[in-house]
Amino acid sequence: MSRVVIMCPGRGSYTEASLGSLDPDHELVRTAERRRSDFGLEPLLALDQAQRFEPARHLRPAHVSPLIYVKAMIDATAVASEHEVVAVGGNSMGWYIGLAVAGALSFEDGFRLVQKMALLQEELAGGGQILYPLVADDWTPSPEAQTAVDDTLASSGGEAMHSITLGGYTVLAGSAKGLSHLLKTLPQVRIGSVTYPIRLAQHGPYHTRLAEPVAVAAAREFSDLKLQAPHTTLVDGRGRLFSPWSTDLNELRRYTLGTQVTTPYDFTASVRVAMREFAPDQLVLPGPGNTLGGIVGQILVAEGWRGLRSKADFIADQKSAAASGSPPLVNSMTLQAT
Amino acid sequence: MSTNRVAVVEGNLDAYLDGAVGPDRLLSPDDPLRPGSALTARKAVELFEDQVLSRVLDVVARELKREGEGFYTISSAGHEQNAVLGAQLRTTDPCFLHYRSGAFMASRLRQLDGSTPLFDTLLSFCASTDDPVSGGRHKVWGSKEAWVPPQTSTIASHVPKAVGTAFSLSRARKLGLDTGLPEDAISVATFGDASVNHATALAGINSARYAWRRMNPTPVLFVCEDNQRGISVETPRRWIRDFFSRLEHLRYFEATGDVDSIWDTVSLAIQTCRTTQQPTFLRLRCHRLWGHAGSDVESAYMSQAEIELAESKDPVLANARRLIETGAATPAALRSMLKSARERVRAAAKEAKSRPKHVSVRAIIEPLAPEDPERWREAATAAIDPEKRRQVFGERLPENAKAPTRRTMGARINDALHDEMIRRPNVITFGEDVGRKGGVYGVTQNLQQHFGRSRCFDTLLDETTILGVAQGAGLVGLLPIPEVPYLAYLHNAIDQLRGEACSLQFFSNGQYQNPMVIRIAGLGYQKGFGGHFHNDNSIGALREIPGLAIACPSNGYDAVRMMRGALAMAATSGRVVTFLEPIALYHERDLYEAGDGLWLTDYPVPDGSADIALLPGEVGITHAEHKDLLIVSYANGYRLSLRAARQLEADGIKARVLDMRWLNPLPMDAILEHAEQCGNVLVVDECRATAAGAADSIIASLVEGGYRGVIRSVRSADSYIPLGAAAEVVLLSEEDIVKGAKEVLR
Repeated sequence: MSRVVIMCPGRGSYTEASLGSLDPDHELVRTAERRRSDFGLEPLLALDQAQRFEPARHLRPAHVSPLIYVKAMIDATAVASEHEVVAVGGNSMGWYIGLAVAGALSFEDGFRLVQKMALLQEELAGGGQILYPLVADDWTPSPEAQTAVDDTLASSGGEAMHSITLGGYTVLAGSAKGLSHLLKTLPQVRIGSVTYPIRLAQHGPYHTRLAEPVAVAAAREFSDLKLQAPHTTLVDGRGRLFSPWSTDLNELRRYTLGTQVTTPYDFTASVRVAMREFAPDQLVLPGPGNTLGGIVGQILVAEGWRGLRSKADFIADQKSAAASGSPPLVNSMTLQAT
Repeated sequence: MSTNRVAVVEGNLDAYLDGAVGPDRLLSPDDPLRPGSALTARKAVELFEDQVLSRVLDVVARELKREGEGFYTISSAGHEQNAVLGAQLRTTDPCFLHYRSGAFMASRLRQLDGSTPLFDTLLSFCASTDDPVSGGRHKVWGSKEAWVPPQTSTIASHVPKAVGTAFSLSRARKLGLDTGLPEDAISVATFGDASVNHATALAGINSARYAWRRMNPTPVLFVCEDNQRGISVETPRRWIRDFFSRLEHLRYFEATGDVDSIWDTVSLAIQTCRTTQQPTFLRLRCHRLWGHAGSDVESAYMSQAEIELAESKDPVLANARRLIETGAATPAALRSMLKSARERVRAAAKEAKSRPKHVSVRAIIEPLAPEDPERWREAATAAIDPEKRRQVFGERLPENAKAPTRRTMGARINDALHDEMIRRPNVITFGEDVGRKGGVYGVTQNLQQHFGRSRCFDTLLDETTILGVAQGAGLVGLLPIPEVPYLAYLHNAIDQLRGEACSLQFFSNGQYQNPMVIRIAGLGYQKGFGGHFHNDNSIGALREIPGLAIACPSNGYDAVRMMRGALAMAATSGRVVTFLEPIALYHERDLYEAGDGLWLTDYPVPDGSADIALLPGEVGITHAEHKDLLIVSYANGYRLSLRAARQLEADGIKARVLDMRWLNPLPMDAILEHAEQCGNVLVVDECRATAAGAADSIIASLVEGGYRGVIRSVRSADSYIPLGAAAEVVLLSEEDIVKGAKEVLR
């Protein structure tokens, strides 16, 4: 049994290619649909099995979040049955999924948390997020981009702010005015076929003070949320650990419903801490999608993990594992499935 | 032997956990471990996690050593209760730690986001350049973010700087300077029961009590981790208690027994220190497992029964028992925690040992003596606000001195200190007699009057303390100019420079600095005090210290400019600079004849001109047009050389005279250039002959640098300086120089 770390995906992970991710017969899907009906929202399978991907419909927070949650939970459960999971984390919304993967929440409570938080965001948080690279195409750091980000935030009049540290990328957030400033001011950068900055569709200004109304509502809404000590260590978006033996449930609640909602999320720190303190054989990325694959690669390269010092090193290492049939260092379950 | 004992201790814990049965009722996480204790069940388990992690790291350190991949096996095993301190002290309480602080650090780093104590420790065992503390230079406990300046701590020589830090925290606040630390921060030094007997540790504890007795807030917590043994030598029973519990001006606590009792006592000790700002001594009962280090065979000096007795007191085992018996944790939970820690550490060790190691001298020494001459010059030559100068000097600006207009070196250094204290509000100066008396030779006169007792003050008569205060002051953002009254007095305290102040940037990979300019009155020829202690002419002990810069002016004009350069180096690059002041030249007025006044100088006005400061490498040249011979010297020797040059000139020999000004690093580029131009070199070194001065290095460097002309040296005799006129017999004389010069040209 190999020792694995699971890093759960965030909100951007369900895309057109993800349609049909959910097995209608899977127990978790059936359970999720029952809980979904509590909210009076259209069934997840209706969305997942739609003939075509409609961004406005599929990417609505209240739809995409539970789709991701269920798919990730299915994948993570499969991983846990075959490997020893030594630590669990996630990116942004992936933290909620991580709570369920690590057993700090039941599947159903995790579903309720994800679903309700998405609705609260729709209701309460104006503004949004943009994604911007701080590395070149070959993953070497771009000091110019960092300077541009710093300058742009500084000139935003407090309307734009840092949201997520995401490997070679930064996620910035802002009010409508702040977003407009970011999109207008940040120099355009092309990486691969994508031109940045890009607005993250239907994303709220999470992990900033603009999300404070969500935190306030969450504290009220989830006063009965049954958090329990995780069976596997959780690594949060500060790079702090919640172990099975000493988790402070009050702190876990404060962090989940408050701190991480209103302060920046450092996914890089969570991966770095998971690797350094648990040294897994593999880092597994449950589906849907593979949005974290490159990002995790960037973090590992920056860390020099297993001697990986460049994008080329990372790609070669992944390919070499695939060619030899041995498990890759970063195991994206979506790629594995395809 | 040691390997087996590791297995025995590990086996004891496993066996206990395998057979343990807890009570029927478990404690809730927020329940105290026992009624009245502040330690909750959850917190106790968290502590245990850190203690187990530390223990497993120690086990794996020995495995790495056997594989040839790890290089440090002095373990924390048996000292894990220090995690209680790590958990309760704040990361804004500066801590100077004993080398058995694995559990302390694991608990302390828990307070920081994104910390990785497990992997960091493995990197340090493996001496990898990725080690975030020392950059692979040494296994040290440290953290920039968590305020743990690293040092090796083997002889408790870090105690004085912990005291200096405590003292300086309130001093900086008094001066309105931001240390970046809260007002109630305390300074902490941990050490062993054997190392506390070192003179340095006792000096530190003594000076803390003295400072408190003089009404200075001195919030320092001394933690003696008492395992009752120093390598093979047993500490007498109750030695620590008998000694330290009975001292005035020192609060004393003992943390022993169960982890909850230890928690509560530690809490009380910390709170006492924090709220009263009084020096506080905490004896933490520890036990030593597995010998002093991996290479230490305990059976050579302990019986099997003694070894087993120590093992039976293993604090990790004791805490496991306490957690289970109180219902704070189940045996299964602790087994699972232990298994997880063992797996994690061994897996991470595979990665850590593959990490890069140092392979180049350049990279290793990089943080030792940072060079930044452009910024140094900018800082040293910046103009000082004339209005502020007028506020201090009034109508008596040094450059406007009248009757005479030119003044002695002692007076000029005094002027320079005034100006630098005007320029830099964080400069403080202190030592024996520097305050009210104004220095033994009057060099610090009026500083206390002008800048107050907070910036210029007397210390107790202990050079170790003076240098400890300087280190602490530098660490919290002050720029100290400590004074050591005589060069000979430095030797009882020199480890504070060699082992501590100058090593800090090395051990912390440049993350921590303790900038300072240490004024030392020294060298021979003075006509007041005679004898060795006031005329020491050996600087070998200073010249061999890595990274230490040594300035040694010969005259007032240079002294002012060099003081500016030295302070700029300290302020800009954190450098430790010694400013060696030749006592005999403090009040010297004349060069050739009595009354010629040629050794008096003007004052280089701090008006922003480029030439008002001197940096290492910048030498003084007299008779640049002469080419028969180059005389290389410094300080008194330089003045004697000028006199000798006049004699030589009368004999038709035209000597050029070079004042090195800086004795570390040596200005070899300039010396080589002038040597090549002259073709004959005489090195004039007033220090005693055997490796006490710079002559050997100069000659070797000239030869190795390609100089192929004639070279000789004259030096003082290899002797302590005797009293009275006999001093002249052993000290280098003007006639020795003339004679040496003629031999070079023969």
